[in-house]
Amino acid sequence: MGAREAGGSDLNARAWCKSALALIALLSSVPLLTGCWDRLEIEDRAVVLGISVDAIDPSEAEKEDEITHLRGSYLEPGGSMIRLGVQIAVPGRIPLGPGEGGGSGQGSSKRTVWVMDVPGYTIDDALMNLQQQLSGQLFFGHLRVIVVSESLARKGIQNLNDYLRRNSQLRRMAWMMVTKGKALDLMKSAPELERVPTLYLMSTMDSAVRMGKFPTNYVGMYWSRASKKGQEGFLPYVEMKKEQNIELKGMAYFKKDRMVGVTKPFEIATYMVIKGLNPAGYRAFVRLGNPERTVMVYATSRKSKINVDIRNGLPHFDVNIFTELNLEEKVSNELTVNRSSLLREVGKQNEKALLSSVESLIEQTKQAHSDIFGFGEYVRAMKPGYWRTHVKSKEAWQEMYPRITVDFHIHSRIRRIGMKAR
Amino acid sequence: MAEARQITTIQAAAILISTIIGVGVLPLPLFAVHAAESGAPFITFISALVAMASLVLVSVLGMRFPSQTIGQYSETIIGKWPGRIGSIMVIAFFAILTSLAAREFGEVVITAVLPRTPLEVTVTVMLLLAAISTRNNITTFAYIHFFYFPLLLGPALLITVLALKNADTINLLPIWGNGNIGIKGTIDGILTIASLFQSAFVLAIVIPSMRRPNRALRASIWGMVISGGLYVTIVLATVSVFGSEEIKNLLWPTLELAKATSLPANVLERLDAAFLAVWVTAVFTTLFSTYFFTVTELGNLFHLKDHKMLSFFLLPIVFLVAMLPQNILQMYEVIRNIGQMGLIITIGYPAFLLIIAWVRGKRGDRT
Repeated sequence: MGAREAGGSDLNARAWCKSALALIALLSSVPLLTGCWDRLEIEDRAVVLGISVDAIDPSEAEKEDEITHLRGSYLEPGGSMIRLGVQIAVPGRIPLGPGEGGGSGQGSSKRTVWVMDVPGYTIDDALMNLQQQLSGQLFFGHLRVIVVSESLARKGIQNLNDYLRRNSQLRRMAWMMVTKGKALDLMKSAPELERVPTLYLMSTMDSAVRMGKFPTNYVGMYWSRASKKGQEGFLPYVEMKKEQNIELKGMAYFKKDRMVGVTKPFEIATYMVIKGLNPAGYRAFVRLGNPERTVMVYATSRKSKINVDIRNGLPHFDVNIFTELNLEEKVSNELTVNRSSLLREVGKQNEKALLSSVESLIEQTKQAHSDIFGFGEYVRAMKPGYWRTHVKSKEAWQEMYPRITVDFHIHSRIRRIGMKAR
Repeated sequence: MAEARQITTIQAAAILISTIIGVGVLPLPLFAVHAAESGAPFITFISALVAMASLVLVSVLGMRFPSQTIGQYSETIIGKWPGRIGSIMVIAFFAILTSLAAREFGEVVITAVLPRTPLEVTVTVMLLLAAISTRNNITTFAYIHFFYFPLLLGPALLITVLALKNADTINLLPIWGNGNIGIKGTIDGILTIASLFQSAFVLAIVIPSMRRPNRALRASIWGMVISGGLYVTIVLATVSVFGSEEIKNLLWPTLELAKATSLPANVLERLDAAFLAVWVTAVFTTLFSTYFFTVTELGNLFHLKDHKMLSFFLLPIVFLVAMLPQNILQMYEVIRNIGQMGLIITIGYPAFLLIIAWVRGKRGDRT
């Protein structure tokens, strides 16, 4: 303003302009004066660390308070009910360092979190029932573990997935797992090692990935796999043991949103072999003749290449697998490990053992129509013409999957035998 | 033009880049996947080429009339009143573009970050910020863009590159898509994505202030290569990490990508906060450009010496238009429809002007 100079009337206008400007400046500060709408002190938050979801009998509806709907009204969703358990961090109780708080074993881990459970028809319904009896506002930004009971997973977890995808606070890096028995027990568990139980669950999974016991499978990855047309999702299948620890019991595989089966723990390794996933963490027995001549090997690295072509009007896959092994132990002295030809023999036997286990895993998933390997994705990506004319949809691939043929070409090489010479 | 010609070619390219990168990056992969599933990156590339047409036309026109903005030379080319009607349409379109970008910004903030802050407040604050900034002249306008563009480009590239470690190339095949979406859907998608680029039309008022207007074409090519390249990279990263089917479940896939990405060694476990900070800047620069275009062209239309008073005069109108969509789904329907219609203005109108200029042999004075 004001490079122009002129007479009195212009000066008047300038003065007016100035006061208008001042007014605008004053007004524009109004939005800043109100402070933060979304201010929420940490004490007023109920930080949810873990969630468990169980299927319960609809007869328990009587126990549900009338919070999101009135009983008997036409709005009642009906159908199956769930019991939702949450683990809420107690502010100030979670020790930040090893020295702090002087945590004394089991007792302290009970007090760092607060476990509650409520019934409900849907996830949101249950959460609202919970919120009604809780002072702090539920906050999911630190949700790390979602445990689903097997019975619910077999009914389908569409509703759970929908709620979690819609919620903007959730991270895709949380772990979702299926448990044998009641999921709530895992929330209530108090393992000795970690002072926060859900963090123990999480670190169990994270180190399982690091040790090669399970493929990386955050909930976001599970969702991506489950969405794909030529692939199905899977989740870790766990069971609580008597010392309140959890055991990785296998992979729960899904057909769309419904769990249709579970593998053995060793078959996780088989899955990782087929997909060529590293690091490799499982050990396997290899028998050379009689049972005394048995050694144990562990894989150090795996590679796999999946090729697809169309034979007799159906997709045919050639899976080339290469594994590198180390010898870790032998059963008795009947076998002397001192010649390289023997190691070649061990490799051969391992190839045979692997072949039978990969074929049985494929057979098992074929019967469940659950293509957790994503063979369908290879067809979609590499043979788009065939996909367009014969498959096109997820349902069609679920139908076709049992009819595909897969040939495995496995090569195993033993490289090292440890520090013992024979 | 009274102001000195101070904008360099690099600055002009920077203006284009930071103008193009805007609120649209969040739903971009969703639009692209709806157009061609796994062919999304390729479709984005095609869309960038379509959008390039607009920029080339504007540059050629600008080089033909090196000292005039689009409002001024349109009057020379097609006559005073038809030219003014054309200008009014362009101005109205840019005002609506500003409103919609502000509204989309508000919707993202209210859904993802600040659920209890009223929408009106986020939108007003953003518009106010843009309105205040438009009170500068075009040289300052260029400086502001030039200052922000590395701050946009760097982090955006870093996040996409970090995300690529979870990538699976099979999600990108076949690169033409699976053909589940008809030709109509694909063209619709291409036009929608191309419309995300159209705020680059602001070049039409930048050229008269460029030190060397004959380099406008070069600036627009660079601007398009870099911003288009970033768009393709973002779609590439999102599709390869999530797969096209999962993206259909996500309203803002790029934001999800930032959520799923962590810095190495878990320095930051989720990058969505960092990403949103960059994105707010990107939204600001886009709003700034479209608002600036509206205000200065309106000033030119009324032959005002100074466009500054219009900045705040326009604010309530832009704000009201931003409040018109009733819900988020309607907002996206409006954004798609207005964006596609806008292509008539940003591609059709300059093409029409150029043809008439050729036919009538009109050209501006060379300086």
